[in-house]
Amino acid sequence: MGRLVLRRFLATIPVLVLVTAGVFALIHLTPGDPIDVMMAESVDATVKANLRRELGLDQPIYVQYAAWTWRLLHGDLGRSIRNGEPVIENVGRRIRPSLQLAALAMAISLVVATPLGILSAARRNTSVDRVGTTFALFGICMPNFLLALLLIFFFGVKLRWLPISGYVDPLEEMLPGLRSLVLPALTLGLALAAVVTRTLRSSMLDALSEDYVRTARAKGLSESSIIRGHVLKNALIPVVTVLGLQLGTLIGGAVITEYVFALPGVGRLVVDAVFARDYPLVQGVVLLIAVGFILSNLAVDLLYGWIDPRIRYR
Amino acid sequence: MTRPSPRGRERARRWTVLRQAARTRLGPLGVAVMIAAIAVALLAPLISPYDPLKQDLGNALARPDRAHLMGTDNVGRDVLSRMIWGTRVSLLAGFGSVALAMVTGGLLGLLAGYAGGRTDGLVMRVMDAVLSFPPLVLALALGAVLGAGLTGVVIALGVVYTPTFARLMRGQVLTITARDYVEAARALGAPGWRVAWRHVLPNAAAPIVIQASLSVAFAILAEASLSFLGLGIQPPGASWGSMINAGRGYLQQAPWIVFWPGTALFVTVVGLNFMGDAVREALDPRLRK
Amino acid sequence: MRGTASDTNVDRRDFLQLCAMAAGVLTPGLAVRPASAQTAPKKGGTLRVGFYLEASTMDPHLSGSKVDRQIYHNIYEPLLTLDVKLGIKPGLAESWQQPEPKILILKLRQGVKFQDGTDFNAEAVRFNFNRMKTEPKSVRKGEVASIESVDVVDAYTVKINLRRPDAALLATLTDRAGMMVSPKVAQERGAELERNAKSAGTGPFEFVEWVKDDHLLIKRNESYWNRQGGPYLDRVRYRPIPDDTVKLQSLQAGEIDVIDYVQPRDVAAVKADKNLVTLDVPSLAAFAYQINQTRPPFNVKALRQAVAYALDLDQIIKGVWLNVGTAANGPIPPTSWAYDRTITPIKRDLAKAKAKLAEGGKPGGFPFTITTANIPINVQEAEVIQAQLGEAGMQVKIKLVDAATQLSDGNSKNFDMISYQWSGRPDPDGNIYQFFKTTPGTSLNWSGISNPQIDALLDKTREVSSQPERKKLYSELIKILQDELPMVYIVHPIEPKAFSPKVQGYEPIPDGMMRFKEVWLK
Repeated sequence: MGRLVLRRFLATIPVLVLVTAGVFALIHLTPGDPIDVMMAESVDATVKANLRRELGLDQPIYVQYAAWTWRLLHGDLGRSIRNGEPVIENVGRRIRPSLQLAALAMAISLVVATPLGILSAARRNTSVDRVGTTFALFGICMPNFLLALLLIFFFGVKLRWLPISGYVDPLEEMLPGLRSLVLPALTLGLALAAVVTRTLRSSMLDALSEDYVRTARAKGLSESSIIRGHVLKNALIPVVTVLGLQLGTLIGGAVITEYVFALPGVGRLVVDAVFARDYPLVQGVVLLIAVGFILSNLAVDLLYGWIDPRIRYR
Repeated sequence: MTRPSPRGRERARRWTVLRQAARTRLGPLGVAVMIAAIAVALLAPLISPYDPLKQDLGNALARPDRAHLMGTDNVGRDVLSRMIWGTRVSLLAGFGSVALAMVTGGLLGLLAGYAGGRTDGLVMRVMDAVLSFPPLVLALALGAVLGAGLTGVVIALGVVYTPTFARLMRGQVLTITARDYVEAARALGAPGWRVAWRHVLPNAAAPIVIQASLSVAFAILAEASLSFLGLGIQPPGASWGSMINAGRGYLQQAPWIVFWPGTALFVTVVGLNFMGDAVREALDPRLRK
Repeated sequence: MRGTASDTNVDRRDFLQLCAMAAGVLTPGLAVRPASAQTAPKKGGTLRVGFYLEASTMDPHLSGSKVDRQIYHNIYEPLLTLDVKLGIKPGLAESWQQPEPKILILKLRQGVKFQDGTDFNAEAVRFNFNRMKTEPKSVRKGEVASIESVDVVDAYTVKINLRRPDAALLATLTDRAGMMVSPKVAQERGAELERNAKSAGTGPFEFVEWVKDDHLLIKRNESYWNRQGGPYLDRVRYRPIPDDTVKLQSLQAGEIDVIDYVQPRDVAAVKADKNLVTLDVPSLAAFAYQINQTRPPFNVKALRQAVAYALDLDQIIKGVWLNVGTAANGPIPPTSWAYDRTITPIKRDLAKAKAKLAEGGKPGGFPFTITTANIPINVQEAEVIQAQLGEAGMQVKIKLVDAATQLSDGNSKNFDMISYQWSGRPDPDGNIYQFFKTTPGTSLNWSGISNPQIDALLDKTREVSSQPERKKLYSELIKILQDELPMVYIVHPIEPKAFSPKVQGYEPIPDGMMRFKEVWLK
């Protein structure tokens, strides 16, 4: 097993090289220059030229990439051009809100999807099933900024139940923190719920058609005890897989939610960095997101293989 | 009477699948929605009551009434007309990017599945790289390089969805070429491309169609999200997504600007999902009992 | 230029006009002026402010962003300040004299200490100017370019030697170029000053902390030298909220107390909202488009003029800006002493536009691209302009870009017509010189104009010191600009600010900066 992990790990290195080279090339091809953006109202050409030289921005692209890779191998992700702080620090500050948001969104999606998924499977093809699946669809069939806006409008402005924007760390202040994350987590969570409902329904149907279930039914056990007993546990495995795979998207892809709710998360960080052409920051964050994505994939694969020996490895 | 050939049995099964799909209640509904959307897109010049670009600043943000069934937007343009013409853009974004992804991903998947070994490994590595790449960064960067218009968005989304189709196709190749009659055909000397054409593609069609219908739904939504960042159809053109984005600042004063395109988006995406689900249900081995 | 507090050369008619304008735009019955005897200012409370952008640096000499200035005007102080009519008032400098055009003598206020306890004196002033000129990343170099050297005459007198006469220098010293940072803090803290400005200034508030993209906190300076009229607030907390709609909703829901800008489309609703107070603050800003003279089609003057005649500024102000702003006749805003009311903005005339098209060799119209930033109001304005120019036969394509691309396209002159927003400076020189002076290489002169007559006038406005004379020169300049059209100006926006009714004592100054010294919470 250990050798397997190592092999998979090594296999990810070319992927990371591809990703970082790709983003390096792409971001340097975009018109615009971080110094111009930082000093937009200044016309001092010499100052700008000096800064560019200092940051190595006047070198050809492959030289810059080589330099970046070299520093990376020494554990240095570089410094943000905009605020001069190490990339690691920039990301470290933003990862907590993103992780908390992701966790809460996943929790919400489970709360919504579990009863829906179970019911839909248990009462398959009845109107309950159809209503359930349609309702689940609701979360993904709307652009998330629209959903966010509607939620803000109802819960924030009209009802005033929840804060509209801003972030409070739940680990520091539990209740205000959770309240500040509810609306954004709902926005993300409802969309996720649709996917989870589907997966759960499908895996429930799979599990319900297993032989041991038929035996249990023949023995006279009630439907709900069957479900509670074995089926649900087995059915949840693919759900965990799906959630694990979605983690990467939730963290790096919640940009719009973070913008609308003014949350200082990783998604906004990378998009703002792209807008400001903050090359080291973009490079560093993309690398970290890619690593995170690959790691979570690996973890999910291994988890799956460990749980279900049949799938354990070719 | 000779027994039906393996290929014949396959073809029969494919028709069964379609018939099963048609029998579900929601599947045909989804298809109907799609047909309606495509019809609207094609007939836009005929059915649109006004020029979607015609401004009327004096009549901006007007409530829906006889003259403007869905009201007017912030520069006085007719919302209904913009919605009708916007169907073209949204469908183009959706179908265009998925078509690109299907073709590219499909070819890559075929290549990987057939060639095996190092080529397979290489192709899949590249696909993994694309998957780990944050899609928004890709879209933003492409937008800045290619210009912010629809082309950039279609290409960006196409790239983002390619790995999904590549994996799907590759998986199908592996499964199908392992089947006895295919091995037999190859043993008899049938060239690879013919095997692909006759066996792989038809069988892969269903899963790919399912994935495609879902991806089109996502692509249409993605185009809406990208317009939030200034990408996608450029003004004064409209897509449902860009209308929603432009109208969200007026949510309290003029909700119709957001409501109607939002509904169109919702209905279309739901319809696509129903279609995909129906085919998937029909493919479900559990039903064959 | 000999000056103390009363050196404002605004003639009586202008003064009354300004008062009328100011009075007319204040929401009736809801004055946010220093209260009458019954309600005395109360000490205490935290003012929560919502801004659209994150600040970028806490070092005023390295700052290039407008949002930073909002905070600086509360924790730092400039040598000179502005009054409500944009006249120059004493700040950290009590008085000033100009015995010769190239010498400026500042007499500094005594007894002022930086928040770290060190004295504010002539040495500190000299240190600051040197820093602005020599610090590698200094953005102030251009602003103090006319300063040759600074001498310490005695502990509280500074002599500034200029390399050329600079009529605009006093106004420049009312903003970042005049802001004094404690030399001790600057030397000890070095680059960290950009993130941590604790005890660095002399202002009514001092820096507490800055959590990036979350909030920036400042608190009352208990040892501030001028305790008359404030500061009353315990703390001010700035929060960046990038989405306009959400920002306004946060104010409406009571999560914040002040927002820096209400979008034109929300103004009517906000004014009608009984739970909010709105103040229309005329600004120094200008929204315009730079037109590229260095390549076709706009290297032909007649075609630029065709564009100007085809534009309907009134329709744009009414339909896009919803009258939250005034049509512009050029770069000088109506709040400025140099504003010439007699020069009208270019009026739409389709016949003349078509004639100019013919004159320029394109009688049937021609295609070109307007590059503009991806901000809702820019987009709307571009769409309206597209329709207006279309009526004259010009086929306009709109290209939306992000800020970095806009800067890049502008600097490399890769555009036909590009949107340009300038936040505005109190002296007209800051709004004009660098845009129209012949400048080789990269500069803010994106249009590429090089006109000897304009150059001569520009230099003269810097040399001449009397305001009436300068005003005449600027009027001449504006008329030429309306003919040459390196830039076509659209609007001088009003920047409405909205408050919770708890907020009292806010005095708006037309530079758009929110100063909270006199503000208190009910």
